[in-house]
Formats: sequence, structure tokens, C-alpha cells
Amino acid sequence: MRLIVDFAQEDIKLLQKEILRSQGIPDKAELSENFEKIYGEAIKLFQELAKPKGIITGVTISRFEEVFRGEGLNEKENPVEEIYRKSSYIALFAVTLGSVLSEKVTELFDNGDYADGYMLDSVSSYAADKLTYLAAKHLQSEIADKETPTSSQRVLCYCPGYCGWHISGQKKLFEALRPEEIGITLNESCLMSPIKSVSGVLIAGPGKIHEFVNSYPFCNTCTARTCIKRMQNLKQG
Amino acid sequence: MELLSQISFNLQNGFDETVAALTKEAVEKQIPPDEILNNGLIAGMNAVGEKFKNHEVFLPDVLLAARAMNSAMEVLKPLLIKGGIPIKGKVVIGSVKDDLHDIGKNLVAILLKGAGFEVIDLGNDVPAEKFIRIASEENADVIGMSALLTTTMPVMKEVVDMAKTEGLYGRVRIMVGGAPVSKEYALEIGADAYSYDGANAVETVESFFSKDS
Ligand code: B12
Ligand code: SF4
Repeated sequence: MRLIVDFAQEDIKLLQKEILRSQGIPDKAELSENFEKIYGEAIKLFQELAKPKGIITGVTISRFEEVFRGEGLNEKENPVEEIYRKSSYIALFAVTLGSVLSEKVTELFDNGDYADGYMLDSVSSYAADKLTYLAAKHLQSEIADKETPTSSQRVLCYCPGYCGWHISGQKKLFEALRPEEIGITLNESCLMSPIKSVSGVLIAGPGKIHEFVNSYPFCNTCTARTCIKRMQNLKQG
Repeated sequence: MELLSQISFNLQNGFDETVAALTKEAVEKQIPPDEILNNGLIAGMNAVGEKFKNHEVFLPDVLLAARAMNSAMEVLKPLLIKGGIPIKGKVVIGSVKDDLHDIGKNLVAILLKGAGFEVIDLGNDVPAEKFIRIASEENADVIGMSALLTTTMPVMKEVVDMAKTEGLYGRVRIMVGGAPVSKEYALEIGADAYSYDGANAVETVESFFSKDS
């Protein structure tokens, strides 16, 4: 399976509370008039300029094993290692919002409209992260229809640079996925262009396979702790 | 309201055109430029900084104030230079080689300018050699480097090492930041400081100068 998906922009739910949280703003904070205006303008600009796109390619477990091994720099023990062997379907993926948004952010900064630039960047970062959920949902519906007709399948994404999967894993991932087809490129230092892009693997299987204890040595220094929310969401169905 | 207080008040509310107009008015009224800078503009930025720390305003509000500060500085800078009034300090800043992410670095640059420092922004994808060359040519006090991913962080060490061989180390302070960077990493490579955000970066640069005086 190799899919190129144009996501509908309205499917990215831009939740103000969550966007503000990502900026470190407490839920009950009182916002200035200026702030509200800037936020509103950033949402409008985002809706005008974002071009959410994704690419999803199914791979066998043994092919993924090779991709995941990457440059041999992963942490010895890590959650992905525990999960993928128990999966029923694996697909590599990359999603992007396109380059126009980042160009607009740069333009705003260059013109001295720092607050507008910052807000648009923040909304875009949030949206890029949300796109991974849309990719997972997309794969879930695809495999439910065709390959694994079970409703208990849960698809979650895992990305190089997170939870023991070394960032250099991007190289093998790109070789196998070839997301250049939708305009995503990788430089020598494993940085993707456009900036607002995310890549990784979508792993499908019964919800239980995605559950693990987050007590790996590298968890001690992790401030993201996104696994906790993901596992809670799994249990809530 | 007294003119300088009006400048400070309007700056805090991000009214850039009014701040620029009031600054011109203050100049015309022969108020010394350093007084306009310190008691109007920087006083306003300090007040916003305080409100920011207390969660009364947020980063976009601070950035609006910074823009107002910049528009006033366009009026004031030539006069400050002409009057031989020394600048607070010069910072050369950039995102390191191969790193195309520059929002974090931009924010630090804007806030440093807002605090009255002269900032030379080299943009992104900046090789080690360029940080050193420009810092040396410009007689900078501080080099600031930003990285988004661990894979580009080694350039920071290259800059520190090159600063040693070029005789800048110790004379020019080196400051690092960005999502994957840490205090421990800064220490490990021999940088002078790490800052976790823009406000902290301003405090850190201020501390360099207070230690020096
Ligand atoms: C938002 C985010 C994203 C967004 C947007 C990215 C962007 N920045 O545009 C999206 C979802 C697209 C994304 C994607 C990815 N991300 Co990301 N992302 C983050 C996150 C949560 C915040 C980064 C951010 O934008 N912050 C807001 C900006 C304004 O802040 P900032 O740049 O950090 O700058 C501030 C400070 O750092 C400091 N500062 C910055 N520069 C300087 C310079 C000096 C001199 C000083 C003093 C201070 C200073 O002050 C600034 C202002 O306050 C971080 C984790 C974190 N909590 O920091 C991970 C993080 C950067 N991402 C990470 C990863 C792995 C990725 C991906 C590779 C994942 C993947 N496989 O796709 C991709 C890479 C994208 C690419 N183009 O290559 C890792 C990097 C780990 C590593 N090994 O390097 C991090 C650290 C998360 C983690 N695992 O802990 N990401
Ligand atoms: S605590 Fe952090 S590093 Fe550990 S599994 Fe959870 S998200 Fe990953």
C-alpha cells in the first residue's frame, strides 16, 4: 500500500486551549485584547495557507526491522522495539503542512510583525503534530476496510527522535518511504524541510500492544511524557 | 502624564506608531536621548518583562512591545551614536549550520534588542567559521547559538573550539540554547551559559555585563 493523502484542513481541530497550553499559558489566564486579535489573525492565516499532505507506505515487519535499526544508534531497550513485533500492520509515514506557512512566518518576522509571526508558528507547530493523528486515523480506516477487518485495531505513531529511536533513524526511514514525492526532504543533519513536517511509523494492532511501562533510563530526562496521554486515550477508546 | 511615562505606557501596550511619534516629540523637546532610552523605552520593556514573569501578559504582548521599542530606536539610534553614548553590549546570534529552524533564535534576538543590546542576527544555517569571523570583526561581547535537533548541536562545540584557537575564548562569552540543548551540554562543550528561553537569555546576558563591571 502506498497512499498520498490531501487532508481536509477542517479536520485539524485547532483547539485554542491546547494551542495556548503549548505556549505555556495557563488555562484560566486573562488574555489582552491585542493577544486575542493576534490569535484570530493567525488562525485565519493558517486556514488560508496550510496545505496538509501525507504519505503512507505499508511495510513488512522485517523491512521495518531494517528501517528501525537505522544507523545503529537507538537505545538498547525502547518501547517501539517491544511494540512492532506484535503488530498486525506497519506503515511508514510523513506529513507536512507545506512550506508556504513557514515562509509567511519568516516574512512576518522580517517585517517586524514578531507577535503575528510567533503566533502563526505556534499554531502551525500544533497543527503539524495533530496531522499525525489524522494520518493514523486514515490508516486505521484503510486497513479496517481492506486488510485486517477488525474494529479493535488501534493505530499509533512513533517517530525518530522520540523514546529511544535515534534521530539518525530518519535516514533509513527516508530511503524506504521517499517522501520527496510530497515535497519533504531531509538534510545531512536529519532536519526535514518544510520545517512543519513529522515522520515516523504507524503501528496497528490490538490496543494492548501499545501499552508499556515508561521506566526506560531515558525517561528520567523526558519532559514531554506524551506516552501517558496516548495510553490514557487508548483506554478511553 | 509626563512624556517619558507616556512612552513607557504606550510601549507596554504595543502601540508602536504612538511610541515612535512620542519619541520624536521627546527629541524635539531636547530630552537627552539616553534619558528617553532608559526612562521611557527600557523602563517600559522592564515593566512588560515583570508582567510577563507574573503571567499578567504573554509572549505576543512582549513581542508587540519589542516592535514598539524598535520603531522608537530607529529615531533614537543615530542620536545615541552621534552623542557617543555607549551601547549596552553587542551580541552575534544565529542558528547553527544545517539548522533551518530560527523562531527560537529570533525570539531571543528580539528580546535582547528590547533590553537595549545591539544584536547582529546571522540568520540560520550558520557555519562555525562565520560566527567567529563576524564576532571578531564586530568586536562582539557575546556569541549566541541555537539548535533544534541534537544532530546540529556539534557545531556549537566547533565554535567554542575555534574561539579558543582564535583567541576569542574568555573575551567573547558564548551562550547556547534551543529545544535539545541543556545546561549540562553547555558545560561539557565549554560554553559560558545555557538559557532555556528568551527572558532567561536576557537575564544571562545582563549577568555577563554585571559580572564584568
Ligand atoms: C513544536 C515541536 C515540533 C513541531 C514544530 C517544529 C518547529 N520548531 O518548528 C513539529 C511537530 C513540526 C516537530 C517536528 C519534529 N520534531 Co519536534 N519538537 C517540538 C517541541 C515540542 C517544541 C519546539 C519549539 O518549536 N518550541 C517553540 C520555540 C519558539 O522554542 P525554541 O525553538 O525551543 O526556542 C526557545 C528556547 O529553546 C530558547 N532558545 C532557542 N534558541 C536559543 C539560542 C540562544 C543563544 C539562547 C540563549 C536560547 C535559545 O529560547 C527560545 C525562546 O523561548 C520540542 C520539544 C520542546 N519541548 O522543546 C520538540 C523537539 C525539538 N522535536 C523533536 C523531534 C525529534 C522532532 C522530529 C524529528 C520528529 C519526527 N520524527 O518527525 C520532527 C523534526 C522536524 C523537522 N523539520 O525536521 C525532538 C528533538 C530531539 C533531538 N534528538 O534532537 C524534541 C526536542 C522533542 C523531544 N524528543 O524531546 N516538532
Ligand atoms: S516518558 Fe518520555 S521518553 Fe519515556 S516513553 Fe514516555 S514519552 Fe517516551
